[in-house]
Amino acid sequence: MTTSRRAFLAALALAPVPFAAVAEAGALDRAIAEATGGRTPTDGGVTLSAPTVAENGGQVPVTVTVESPQDGTLHVTAIHLFATRNPTPGVASFRLTRAVAKPEVTTRIRLAEEQVVVAIAELSDGTLRRATASVRVTTGGCLS
Amino acid sequence: MTALLTRRSLALGTAALLAAPSVARAQASLRLVIIGGGFGGASAARFARDTYPDVQVTLIEPRTRFVTCPYGNLVIAGKRQLPEISFGYDAVRARGVTVLHDRAAGIDAAARSVRLAGGQSLAYDRLILSPGIALRWGGIEGYDEAASELLPHAWVPGDGGQTALLRRQLEAMEDGGVVGLAIPANPFRCPPGPYERISMIASYLKRAKPRSKILALDAKEGFSKQPLFQDAWAALYPGMIEWVPGNRDGRVVKVDPRERVLETEFGTKHKVAVANVIPPQSAASIAIEAGLANAGGWVEVDPVTFEAKAAQGIHVIGDANTAPPMPKSGFIANSTSRQAVASAIALARGGQPPGNPTYFNTCYSHCGDEYGISVVNLFRPGGQGFVETPNSGGISPRGDHPEQRRLEAVYADAWYKAITDYMFGA
Amino acid sequence: MSGLATPRLRVPRIARAGEAFEVRLLMEHRMESGIRIGAPSVPRDMLASMTVAAGGETLFEARFGNGTAANPFHVFWLRLDRTADLVFTYADEQGRTASATHRVTVA
Repeated sequence: MTTSRRAFLAALALAPVPFAAVAEAGALDRAIAEATGGRTPTDGGVTLSAPTVAENGGQVPVTVTVESPQDGTLHVTAIHLFATRNPTPGVASFRLTRAVAKPEVTTRIRLAEEQVVVAIAELSDGTLRRATASVRVTTGGCLS
Repeated sequence: MTALLTRRSLALGTAALLAAPSVARAQASLRLVIIGGGFGGASAARFARDTYPDVQVTLIEPRTRFVTCPYGNLVIAGKRQLPEISFGYDAVRARGVTVLHDRAAGIDAAARSVRLAGGQSLAYDRLILSPGIALRWGGIEGYDEAASELLPHAWVPGDGGQTALLRRQLEAMEDGGVVGLAIPANPFRCPPGPYERISMIASYLKRAKPRSKILALDAKEGFSKQPLFQDAWAALYPGMIEWVPGNRDGRVVKVDPRERVLETEFGTKHKVAVANVIPPQSAASIAIEAGLANAGGWVEVDPVTFEAKAAQGIHVIGDANTAPPMPKSGFIANSTSRQAVASAIALARGGQPPGNPTYFNTCYSHCGDEYGISVVNLFRPGGQGFVETPNSGGISPRGDHPEQRRLEAVYADAWYKAITDYMFGA
Repeated sequence: MSGLATPRLRVPRIARAGEAFEVRLLMEHRMESGIRIGAPSVPRDMLASMTVAAGGETLFEARFGNGTAANPFHVFWLRLDRTADLVFTYADEQGRTASATHRVTVA
């Protein structure tokens, strides 16, 4: 895996960035719109933790935590993740019921290159919240 | 070795540049204090003494003998003895470095002084801090300092006790036993180290206890020089080594030291005959207590001067800093020590640090007898910190190259001799 | 045989009513999206979803896009009022499924 990744990175460095390597701006917007039904999220009220530097772009751990009581009054109904510069932006969508005790999900995602990851949380009152995190993908030296 | 000569001539060139500016200032001796007598600190002391004869150099190191991590794996395999990888500080003293065998207990960055455990306070004009790593006790449930007497880490050599303990346990193991290793996630000291250790243990087992096995439980999904190591394992030790990556439940989260059970993330319990647990790590406690480390436990540094971002006047080199993509290695500690010292002296004299530095790393790994592999990287300041120099470096080729493998093993031995001679030799 | 691996779980056997407990899941699957940048695509082999159910009712559900890493790994928190057999089911894009069941006894 590691030697082919080095070749992959080298190929990207030598060639002009192929258009396909970056999710078309339209594709990202469409993916987000599809998940959110066209509603506009507000920034804040949700945290996206991701490493600032990821040693292995194929396995990047991320955690989305929503500030919500998750009791009868207000709870998170869905969490969506997008990678803004992957060939396709969709990463995962999670549907949460009241049986989900904490509004938090951890998973591992794959990133084709350094980029911004977007998390959008849907709440039971119909509102949407958004958080972003910038992740740099690098091989950790001595790793070839 | 050509690379060593190139760096030395670069260093002398730098010294000439620094001597040139004719500054009419008081000729009081500059006081350079170095905390840590390992690869970073001893290299810094040698470079400072060679290059700046009028600078007062003091090295603080609690141990009277330094046992190297490099080549420790060969001692574990019985190919070297502990005295061959242990070095005293007599030659360092003979060069005119003041060596204090005491522990640095605290740093006062504002007052520019170091407090020693023995009570003495040492004033400095510039400080080089190269204290190495601390092991995160409790990072793996059940793995505390007491547990390391049963399940050695042998990742901080200390007085060599851990290395000797692991060796004794392997010698005492019955043929057919399983040697388990718990390997941490990045970042940790010496990325290829655990895999050289697997190779060296396998080499010993093949000769002495051929029915035995090695179970490597890794928190990661890939590792340094992985294809080369796995080719070597298939060729030299077929069927002996099982490597379990993190994404197939390889991450060890808990140990039972008495029962020698390594438990992974998804509850799989592996009972082994000998267990080498390499726990998660951080910068050594002196760096953390001085407020120099980030939330992750490592010291962020300026890529040109190696000054800690958290404190001016303190240059942090070696495994304690975080400088991706540069790995944590003795080679990097040695390579960067020159720029750190030259920057420290330049800044102390009101000048500029040397520009356009290049940092070198060669990771040699022994896979077996007369079977060496290596990867070379060059780095420089760039991006948000450090970057690899484009179109530089290289890696041993895969395939059947017995002569190259034999030569690389020789080069590795030559590197070890050259670097330890540089630091500790007469 | 579906050809899919058995999901791996780390879930407690006992929980208190209404209290949060951690669920860790690991599913061995290469998650081949088929995409190759600047080269022809390869055959696609992806998991599509994961559901957690008890008594036929879905408690938590995930749908996977191309950005989900190989060997999908998830951690989340559940709470139960009474003892339940949690059923974890992964489905791939061909409709094949793999499940694991785990009883959580509510004290």
